[in-house]
Amino acid sequence: MDIKSRNISYSSGVKLLAIIIVWLGFLGTIGGCLFLLQNHGIASLSSYTETYSFQSNFSRLLYNTVEYHVALKSEDNIKDSAEDPQTEAENLQRLHRIENRFPTMVNFVYYVQNTETGETWTNINSETTDPIQFIQKQPAAAFFNGWTSDSSIPITENVADMLAGGPIEIYAAVAEPLQPGDVFYDDYMDYTQAQSDTNLASILTILSFFLMAAAFIYLIYVAGRREADGEIVPALIDRMYSDVHTILVFIAAFLSLLMVGSLSFNTSADLPILIAIAVILSLDIFIGLSYVLSMARQIKTGQIITNTLIYKVIAGTNAFMRLAFQGKVFKIWILLFLLGYALINGLLFMVCREVYYGHVNGLYVLSILILLGFDAGMLYLTAKSLAALAKIMEAAKQISAGNLDYPLDSSLMPVSFASFAEDISSLQGGLKHAVDIALKGERMKTDLITNVSHDLKTPLTSIVNYVDLLQKENLENETAAEYVNILEEKAYRMKQLIEDLVEASKASSGNLAAAGEKVNLQELIMQACGEYAEKIQQAQLDLHVQNTDEAVVIWADGKHMWRIAENLLSNVIKYSMPHSRVYIDIASDNGYGSFTIKNMSAFPLNISPEQLTERFVRGDESRSTDGSGLGLSIAQSLTGLQGGEFQLEIDGDLFKVTVALPLWAEE
Amino acid sequence: MEKLNVLVCDDDTAIVDALEIYLKQEGYGVTKAYTGSQALQALTEHEIHLILLDIMMPEMDGLSATIRIREDRNIPIIIISAKSEDTDKIAGLNFGADDYVTKPFNPLELMARVKSQMRRYTALGSIALKNGILKTGGLELDREGKEVRVDGEIIRLTPIEYGIVVFLMEHLGHVFSIAQIYEQVWNEPSYSAENTVAVHIRRIREKIEINPGEPKYLKVVWGIGYKIEKY
Repeated sequence: MDIKSRNISYSSGVKLLAIIIVWLGFLGTIGGCLFLLQNHGIASLSSYTETYSFQSNFSRLLYNTVEYHVALKSEDNIKDSAEDPQTEAENLQRLHRIENRFPTMVNFVYYVQNTETGETWTNINSETTDPIQFIQKQPAAAFFNGWTSDSSIPITENVADMLAGGPIEIYAAVAEPLQPGDVFYDDYMDYTQAQSDTNLASILTILSFFLMAAAFIYLIYVAGRREADGEIVPALIDRMYSDVHTILVFIAAFLSLLMVGSLSFNTSADLPILIAIAVILSLDIFIGLSYVLSMARQIKTGQIITNTLIYKVIAGTNAFMRLAFQGKVFKIWILLFLLGYALINGLLFMVCREVYYGHVNGLYVLSILILLGFDAGMLYLTAKSLAALAKIMEAAKQISAGNLDYPLDSSLMPVSFASFAEDISSLQGGLKHAVDIALKGERMKTDLITNVSHDLKTPLTSIVNYVDLLQKENLENETAAEYVNILEEKAYRMKQLIEDLVEASKASSGNLAAAGEKVNLQELIMQACGEYAEKIQQAQLDLHVQNTDEAVVIWADGKHMWRIAENLLSNVIKYSMPHSRVYIDIASDNGYGSFTIKNMSAFPLNISPEQLTERFVRGDESRSTDGSGLGLSIAQSLTGLQGGEFQLEIDGDLFKVTVALPLWAEE
Repeated sequence: MEKLNVLVCDDDTAIVDALEIYLKQEGYGVTKAYTGSQALQALTEHEIHLILLDIMMPEMDGLSATIRIREDRNIPIIIISAKSEDTDKIAGLNFGADDYVTKPFNPLELMARVKSQMRRYTALGSIALKNGILKTGGLELDREGKEVRVDGEIIRLTPIEYGIVVFLMEHLGHVFSIAQIYEQVWNEPSYSAENTVAVHIRRIREKIEINPGEPKYLKVVWGIGYKIEKY
């Protein structure tokens, strides 16, 4: 249940409801506040007697009363005292008007007395009640005489003039409870209505405000969360830089306030205007809410600072500055330098031009000289930099081509290129070190093999010698003689193995020197075939040499070439099918002289050419025949050592090997 | 005739013993040593006509011993060593050794080399050279008698083989291609490349060389031709 309710409280439906509550609450609060502001005058008064309307009506009636009883008195009085007919007419008119007004005084009561004559005038029924007492009981009562006024209602100057120094005393009040029929009653009803409206509005406003606040706090709390303690999920709008967002929101608020202001000041509160204001305010509240919630989410994720445009700009500038001034990648001062150069050049040119048009010949020559000198200096510096760069590029090229000893002197280079050159140099050093270590390892391996082979050879010598001695003994036992023969055979095979091993290791590690000399390939093949003529015959093979017309002279080491031919031919003799033909083709093309040996294998060659040249791997894999299995490997290594190419092809039982070496070039 | 003595020096006793057997079978007297200094000591105590010397030995190695021996003696020295590098061979021969045999050696080949050196040391110096005899090392060509001798032993050659030896002996140290040899010996132009010459050369080597695989006299210059070495 708990979990369920919590999940509900994070659901988007509840959030939407909260948003609507905030919206309505905001409108309610604003509307209520505006209403209260408008009715502030009425609402703040403790009684309707304090209203302006009451007071003005009261004092007007008081004036009328005083004017009637003190100044005008009666038609006779007016006729007697009138100085001219016009005044008399006016006063008469006035008298009648006041007389007409008296019946409308439903709630206004007065009591006027002349303390000298004892005359009194009142609209109160004096027979039933004492007028002075009655008036004084009323809440809005006033007493005036010539000297004093006992009233919260200010006395007008006209009244004061009329009473001044006279014996007249006036008691006046609005009698309560008010009776319908005059302005006081209407005012009172309006006032009462306004008071109750204001109270309701206050309650509604406060309620709206608290609802809005609660919904708002809830929204801020759940902003970005889909569940309790869940991860903060940024909304799309959060991608906007928060400072930009802030500025936009403030601009929107300012614009909407301007619009609302102009709308509400221009016209009285009509319904369309009110709706327009509500729409604008609604837009405002939505924009503001989304802004505040976005900020809340960003504060929660801690991005509020980093997700500002200012921060990004500062960080970017920092990075750029670091790159420009600390890093060696790019020197911003080169840019500044170029700009400065262009500027100075332009200035100098302008000076020249000015001086030229000023016809000051000596100065003209001088300024031209300065300009040329400046440019020549710049040209020199630029050329120097470019030369340094060219040097570095050449070094990099040489290093990548494998020339690890290529010297790169950075001492004469400009500072910026010198550090670059040093980096290249250290790269070269590292590479050289690695290559040296690899070479050293290879050399150590060869040395190890050589040393081990020396140690193996000494006991082998004894074996060979004593086997030979055994053979010379008269062995009665034929089986024993046969065994000794096997021993002899294996001892010689072991000798061959050891020698091949040393040679293979030397050839593959490049520890073998190759003396480049002129070698006639045809001569070599003939010599080799001559050496093997008898063995080829014994193996019942038919040898065919395909020659070229022109001599093929290669650049190679004759002894290595012989070793290659020897290994290949002994392979041919060992593994060829009897009665098959063996072809040796001599050719030259593309700057290479080559010979190709083709023969049919007596055994299936179910092995790849790559494996065949691997050390100790042989075509038959049984190792029953003599040989070390290193022959092809040695031939390949020796060919590589002399800068040649060694190619093996196996096509069914056809075994084809091509050795190509660079042709001799007259220098 | 007085018995010829051979000094055998190797730190491996089995090898020394085996060599003793072989040398005694050939009729030589044997003195045994196991270090370089023992060999020098034995030389002062016995009359020695030939030395078989190992290189890698304790106390004094074979090369140092060779240098010391060569200070006052010119008796033949054959180095027998497990070191088979060309540089080792060259060093040994330069320090004054007469021959260099790598281990494991063929005992028969070694005996042949011992005999060859022994003959040169004991006999050749006393034989007066006749006119018309060409000589390089132990190889002699007697054009009058139409004989070829190696260390005094007559070698049987076919007319073609003899012709090739004569041509090459007359130009000691010069290298001739197959075509040149063919034209000179067969007296006809060589049209196509043939390995006849190479086959003949191989046969000659088998007759005159102790080890045809490592010829001393008739050498192959691979890819160029053949020559007889000048000593």
